[in-house]
Amino acid sequence: MSNAGDIGILAIGAYIPAWRIRRETIAGAMDWAVPALKGMAKGERSVANWDEDAVTMAVEASRRCVEGLDRDGIGHVALASTTLPFADRSNSGLLADALNLHERITTEDAGGSRRSATSVLQRLLQRPGAKGSALLAASDCRETRPGSLQEMQYGHGAAALLVGAGQPLAVCLGSASIHRDLVDQYRTHDTAFDYALERRWVQEEGYYKIVPAAVAAALGEAGIGTEDVQHLVLAAPGNAASRLAAMMNMEHAVLAEALDGNVGNTGAAHPLLMLAGALAAAGPGENIVLVGFGQGADACVLKTTEAAAAYTGEPVSAGRSLDNYVKFLALRRQLRPDYGIRAERDNRTALSTLYRKRHDITGFVGGRCRSCGSLQFPLGHTCVHCREMETQEPESLSELPGTVKSFTEDWLAYTPSPPLIYGNITFPDGANVLMEFADFGPGEVSVGADVRMAFRIKDFDENRAFRRYFWKAVPQAGGTDG
Amino acid sequence: MARGIADQVAIIGMGCSRFGERWDCGADDLMVEAFREAEQDAGIDRDAIEAAWLGVFYQEQNTGKSALPLSMALRLPNIPVTRVENLCATGTEALRGAVYAVAAGACDIALAVGVEKLKDTGYPGLPERTKGTFEDLWQVSNTPPGSFAQLASAYAARHGRSMEDLKRAMAHISVKSHANGSKNPKAHLRKEITEAQVLNAPMVAYPLGLYDCCGVSDGAACAIVTSVDKARAMGLKDMVVVKAMQLAPSNGLEMCSSDWDGSYTPTTRIAAERAYREAGIGNPREELDLLEVHDCFSVTELVLMEDLLLSGEGRAIEDVLDGVYDADGTLPCQTDGGLKCFGHPVGASGLRMVYEIYQQLLGQAGERQLRNPALGLTHNLGGLPMRNVASVSIFGLKAA
Repeated sequence: MSNAGDIGILAIGAYIPAWRIRRETIAGAMDWAVPALKGMAKGERSVANWDEDAVTMAVEASRRCVEGLDRDGIGHVALASTTLPFADRSNSGLLADALNLHERITTEDAGGSRRSATSVLQRLLQRPGAKGSALLAASDCRETRPGSLQEMQYGHGAAALLVGAGQPLAVCLGSASIHRDLVDQYRTHDTAFDYALERRWVQEEGYYKIVPAAVAAALGEAGIGTEDVQHLVLAAPGNAASRLAAMMNMEHAVLAEALDGNVGNTGAAHPLLMLAGALAAAGPGENIVLVGFGQGADACVLKTTEAAAAYTGEPVSAGRSLDNYVKFLALRRQLRPDYGIRAERDNRTALSTLYRKRHDITGFVGGRCRSCGSLQFPLGHTCVHCREMETQEPESLSELPGTVKSFTEDWLAYTPSPPLIYGNITFPDGANVLMEFADFGPGEVSVGADVRMAFRIKDFDENRAFRRYFWKAVPQAGGTDG
Repeated sequence: MARGIADQVAIIGMGCSRFGERWDCGADDLMVEAFREAEQDAGIDRDAIEAAWLGVFYQEQNTGKSALPLSMALRLPNIPVTRVENLCATGTEALRGAVYAVAAGACDIALAVGVEKLKDTGYPGLPERTKGTFEDLWQVSNTPPGSFAQLASAYAARHGRSMEDLKRAMAHISVKSHANGSKNPKAHLRKEITEAQVLNAPMVAYPLGLYDCCGVSDGAACAIVTSVDKARAMGLKDMVVVKAMQLAPSNGLEMCSSDWDGSYTPTTRIAAERAYREAGIGNPREELDLLEVHDCFSVTELVLMEDLLLSGEGRAIEDVLDGVYDADGTLPCQTDGGLKCFGHPVGASGLRMVYEIYQQLLGQAGERQLRNPALGLTHNLGGLPMRNVASVSIFGLKAA
């Protein structure tokens, strides 16, 4: 790892799940109970598939962030989210294993607030760590009560930043935080949904008072004035962001795209998701103020470098239309349909097996035979091609392109999103894996089609509240960069 | 040099229960039903049996484990009983154990029983079992139809055939097996169907519709074997003898290697070549008179015609549509209705296939009787195309 160069944001990646539901569809199903939904029924929001959660989306965003970069230089992994699936099991550790990072990294789960990601980012920009660069992923998969405003406003998504020394896209000029226990909304360990307070109070007492104070302090530390700010990254309800820009004398600044029309608010991930858009839009030498809000505020002044000119990001793709409100509820486990009578099975996981095979399962690590050069999964004692023994070196298949060799759409197998599509996937150098597909619908798979790998939930153990993960084949253009 | 199994062991008695939804029967009832027929057919005293093999697959929900279910059901006189399991080749494995014991000279008369009681689960289809603690972590939550359906997409791609062509040949296979099954009083499904019914049936796992899939049945089958010399000494003239019993399990190549294109079952080809060699068969398509293959799904039977080296590469569709494998064709396949219509009580299926060959060779197949068959083949594919246990066995008529 190199410590040469400035410390800053070296790379950024974003991930929005493929499914989109139009807000009209939600309103159409629920406005009999909540007529106010009609007024909000514009655009669409992103929806995580049944096999996605905060961890899997973080993995996707992180892979996009570090694509083409040396992962061995990463010394710290942080995962910020208010919806981490495990309360006592390192979610960032899972992320690290899915990325096949080495074991000497430090891991950090950050949560408890929607500004958890910006808080960690501020710290990392000051001290990325002595062991190399730091990967910060922010991801949220907040479930919402049917008919709630949150159901209309929220979306699912993730973003990831690589922070360290090198040739950054942006460096930090200064930052500041204010802690203030203004409970605009909350969720406890015992509850599934957010309880939100009246928006006018949240804006008047929250955003309009706390954000300007934090931004002023950050600009003070950076030693620049409001007139020097070209971009403001601020997720706030309604028109509060533009009101705030005016209040802070930043009307001239470009407000970062809030992604209301096609994604929705992604919680802890949203400031970083919006930052990805701002970095793509910004030219070199421009100042960006990044704000995180939640029981106080973080403000961070970033200055783009020459390298930023090369970063263009990717627009949010159209995704897949999910014009079925009941299916939306079922995918997010808010509604438990009877999927039909079929074989019953206990999904208990042998965790000792998972431990022995954690690299195989979480990192999709197979083996490459030293003797004949062929790749295979799983890694075994004996090469399936040349049958030499003890010749295999670990090698991950997760970033390799796959090709569909055979497939089926199985209406008999259980899946929360029938049919279960699966088939044989071939990889370069002789590997083949029979795997499940995700984000494909009936009639969309063909023999010879190119696929990529995605880390997803394989299945749930309903009896023990466990979920296990493995890799699945997804469309080559699966999900979207933000 | 080992001499193989050919011409050493004779089947002197066979029995098979009625297959189907036997709500009134447990596994013990089914075993007794099959055994009584075999015992009478062989004309021996039960106490003459010196060793037995029991084949059962889903032991967790019908018989329980071990030798005990058979030993207890028949109140056997504490003779050695071995319980075997090898997926859908389980019944054949039970027979192989008995045949090998007799060939080895370890005993004079041995018994093989296969049984499966599937209809006590409360749901249709096969039960799901763990694949192993590691396998459960990554292997697909697949079903048998979905796994065998892979053969269809890969076969069509490999041979450049449209799915419509393939589906028509698959439909012909199901129509043929239903026609055969309708003539079998012990078959689970005894209704004739039309090609249109097959093609318009609800989809189970693309491209397999409902009529491309075999039934899930209860049933038992049973064989009593002895040495050819002993059979002669017992006064038997025409007898059915074992010509070959070969088994080829996957070693992981299909699952782990892109060398396999997914359109065929390599293990069947290996087992078939070995079996033809063991039986001294040079041209199987010409020499064999009838087949009982593992037609769990219509596409499996189609692909197997090539894997058993009967149809040329990519020629199965034409051969099937030309009626080669129909009851009145040159090489009838599934004259008893096959897994498709006789039914598929997993542990019994291998022995059920032998039962049909046995009856045909001895001229006891009633309405289904072929003209003077002398050589028949049975084949099981236990597991799934991507990892399986293939068995190929050959039986011949030894005339006095």
